Amino acid sequence: MNKVKEIAMFKQPVSGTELDRNFNSEVKAHEDAKGLNACFGCGTCSAGCPIHEVFPEYSPKKLAKMVKLGMRKQVLSSPHIWYCATCHNCEQRCPQNVKFFNILNVLKNMAAKEGYAPPAWVKQTKQVMKTGIVFPTEKIWIKKRKELSLPSLKEDHQKLKKIVELTAINKIKPRADSE
Amino acid sequence: MNKYALFLGCTTPTQVVQYELASRWVCKYFGIELIDIKDFVCCGINQVNLNIETGLLMATMNLAFAEAKKLDILTLCAACTGALAETIEKLKDKATRDRINEKLQKVGLEYKGKVKVKHISRVLYEDIGAGKIKREVKRDLSGLRVAPHYGCHYLKPKSAFEGFEEPDNPKTLHQLISATGAYPIEYETLGFCCGGKVFPVSKDLVHSLVQKKLDDLMNREVDAMVLQCQTCYLMYNDWQKEINEEYSKRYNLPVILYPQLLGLALGADPVKELGLDLHTISPDKILAKVT
Repeated sequence: MNKVKEIAMFKQPVSGTELDRNFNSEVKAHEDAKGLNACFGCGTCSAGCPIHEVFPEYSPKKLAKMVKLGMRKQVLSSPHIWYCATCHNCEQRCPQNVKFFNILNVLKNMAAKEGYAPPAWVKQTKQVMKTGIVFPTEKIWIKKRKELSLPSLKEDHQKLKKIVELTAINKIKPRADSE
Repeated sequence: MNKYALFLGCTTPTQVVQYELASRWVCKYFGIELIDIKDFVCCGINQVNLNIETGLLMATMNLAFAEAKKLDILTLCAACTGALAETIEKLKDKATRDRINEKLQKVGLEYKGKVKVKHISRVLYEDIGAGKIKREVKRDLSGLRVAPHYGCHYLKPKSAFEGFEEPDNPKTLHQLISATGAYPIEYETLGFCCGGKVFPVSKDLVHSLVQKKLDDLMNREVDAMVLQCQTCYLMYNDWQKEINEEYSKRYNLPVILYPQLLGLALGADPVKELGLDLHTISPDKILAKVT
């Protein structure tokens, strides 16, 4: 039943010389990823992960271990880090209180800076700057709201635009290859 | 305090207006005053993917807008609820709050840390209560068997919701459904995620997640799914047809939002006040069982 493309995270075993020994520290330097050291690899995160259940190749435990080993390139270029459904089961159930959901966000932010951002998320940020929400305002929606006597929606949000520009998120380029 | 700033989010006011319509009706019925703040923007939950700070700033902007009007926030979307509640939690740390405020001051905003965020179901559960709801019921819904679906961000992370719910054994939506007279079934995949947040990256993953729950429900006697998040609604409602074609399934399960079920019980007009005509999977089967 699963049509998700299997993507090998790396075709050959990774040798020691390819590892980036600083990667673990680099990730943990972010306040949202501090707790990673406490992970002892029990796999409770993966066991309760809905994505892992429908697509077993995706595994929070595996990603956490890869970070700890220093597999920088393999982690940041992996499509897997974008597959989290943000259900929070992993952090909710972790016996060591590791907030893997937050760690994954740190990894995604790093990957985005290095050119691996999925086009959909880049597009959505651009949209938010235009209308304040993640969708363009379509005439059919405006009409429907009017018919139902629901209040109109404000479209021009200058404060948001300025705030977003402060973080330079709008400078992030989507990754070249598509899904 | 039965007065809240209504946080509509992105999807409800554009694609699932029936949720907004029914929510406004239900709140009015119980004397919960909803204030519209036009300055509200996206909660920032998806921006976190590319830049955690952007997400935090967007969520805080919204909190600041509500705080300026001395209002707490009532949300409809589970994800907005989670994003805003997590931000409140993060900003309890003074250093973080100061850092964020320093940026917000550039557009004349400040957040002092005084806002609470509650999802509409939590407001109904805590401010009104299942007992009061039960006493107000005007139609008989006892013939309905429905599958509750909570929405991940309504429950988790638990720390952001003052222990309001038990994520692995939730009860509030079950009790709110029972209060209307309908019967909330128990089922194995109750806690399974709709996949809404991974949809922009992989539709196939969402299709697999949706099938997991619908396959479970197909084997049970159930008239509808009752949800409390428009994104979950879109995943379970809108993909049924496409999955049927692509995976040779025969799903045809009506999906409604809790305020619509509650409105039905309270005597609201199914079309004009609850928008039940706006569903692509007809809820006529449900209406036929309501007397």
